[in-house]
Amino acid sequence: MANSVAISVHNLSVSYGENKVLDKLNFEINSGEFIGIVGKSGEGKTTLLNTLAGFVKYNGSIDLRGDIGFCFQNHSLFYWMTVAENIGFGLGNMSRNQKQEIVKDVLKRIELEKYEDKYPMELSGGQMQRVALGRAIAYNPGVLLLDEPFSSLDIYTRDQMIDWILKIISELKVTILMVTHYLDEALILADRVFVLKNKEIINELIIPFSKPRTLAVRFTEEFQNIKKDLSLIINPYKPEF
Amino acid sequence: MQSRKFYKIGFSLIPVFCLLLIWQLLNILNIFNSPSIPSPFKIVTAFGDLASKSQILTDFYTSIWRALLGLIIGSSAGIILGLLTGRNNKINMVLSPILNVFKAFPPVAMLPIFITFFGIGDLSKVFSISFATLFPLWVNTHIGASAIPIEYIRSAKLLSKSKSKILFKIIVPASMNSIIGGFRISIAISFIMLYVSELAGASSGLGYRISSSQLSYRYDEMFAALIILGITASSVDYIFNKVIKYFFPWVQLNKLM
Repeated sequence: MANSVAISVHNLSVSYGENKVLDKLNFEINSGEFIGIVGKSGEGKTTLLNTLAGFVKYNGSIDLRGDIGFCFQNHSLFYWMTVAENIGFGLGNMSRNQKQEIVKDVLKRIELEKYEDKYPMELSGGQMQRVALGRAIAYNPGVLLLDEPFSSLDIYTRDQMIDWILKIISELKVTILMVTHYLDEALILADRVFVLKNKEIINELIIPFSKPRTLAVRFTEEFQNIKKDLSLIINPYKPEF
Repeated sequence: MQSRKFYKIGFSLIPVFCLLLIWQLLNILNIFNSPSIPSPFKIVTAFGDLASKSQILTDFYTSIWRALLGLIIGSSAGIILGLLTGRNNKINMVLSPILNVFKAFPPVAMLPIFITFFGIGDLSKVFSISFATLFPLWVNTHIGASAIPIEYIRSAKLLSKSKSKILFKIIVPASMNSIIGGFRISIAISFIMLYVSELAGASSGLGYRISSSQLSYRYDEMFAALIILGITASSVDYIFNKVIKYFFPWVQLNKLM
């Protein structure tokens, strides 16, 4: 199971009317892998996730194993449901006790056990994103798609979230694709990073840091060098350094 | 907590008492004294007379069931139609011309048509109230249902395959703020239409009492009936808000009041 293919994409093309957004993408992702997708705005990163989730019409083939969990940029929690109800919404045909057990387990994982009866509007931004992730993992999906999940958070909360993801990542036997604008996020969390540019994946970077990782990895020279190279691939004319 | 609540109620009643006091004083001082505008004291006396003859209770019961029945029928139809047109483009294409034509008709002008079809009894009154209350609910529900963020629908479809679960657990609650807004407008409209409908061919009801008292120059009774009608309408609105707050605590009522 360790190296079985979870997502297989061949000649994937997506157009919005006359405007081609993705052109003949080909890639394979193994079970349990964490893939970071980076690129400038408008390069089709979110469209790629939306296509994999089945929200968008496409040409080509997508072979995807297991259910899909999706975490949107703005969390999209159902504000009329409590935290526990949000997490339990996707749990299908099972007894009430079974559902309650799973919700309790997820609440423990997202470290919000005391917040089960709160409404989303009573939570902080970081807590809301954790509930959104909890809702997405509650029904044990095979693939988890994260669309800039931390972009609305301040830099300190974002670090806390990355730290938390690093902690739970080993427990989750799930394949993850995360779109992000922040190279640090991608390099700390991912096993591989895809660079989307000109409607295709122009580069695929294997992240050499061993797992489990900590936030401290970003202070190493190797990390900074990889970040610099990646930044130059994405935007060769205006480098960050 | 309880004393704070009483304090809040007492504080909100002060302007009403001040207004009544000024009205009574102006009447006593002959500054504001006309047969067509009786003093608050005379109105209270007239209310006592009407109550002792149980006339006002009959009027109240007759009116309240006409208004509520009309409101329930009209708003239920409005919510169902709004959800259908708000979430289904084909149904919207078919029904929106009807919505746009009929909502432009003044409900008061439709009253003679309802009387022609349903007679001068209760049915025409209830239907005229239903007709008047249907459109605010239809339009509001349509706006609410069609403006649900796409992420909610996409999340729901990934999380559940059950269409009825998505309808009742996602679409209806996500449209609730708009539905409540429309319902509150419809409550006010239902009592306006109640008054108008009871002007034609009624033998009881608060609207009838206001009209008949005015024709017989019993302005004190007219005001008494008018005040009861106003208090009844605002009480229905108040109870509705309490029910909403109890059953849907997440509704942002503070934004609607």
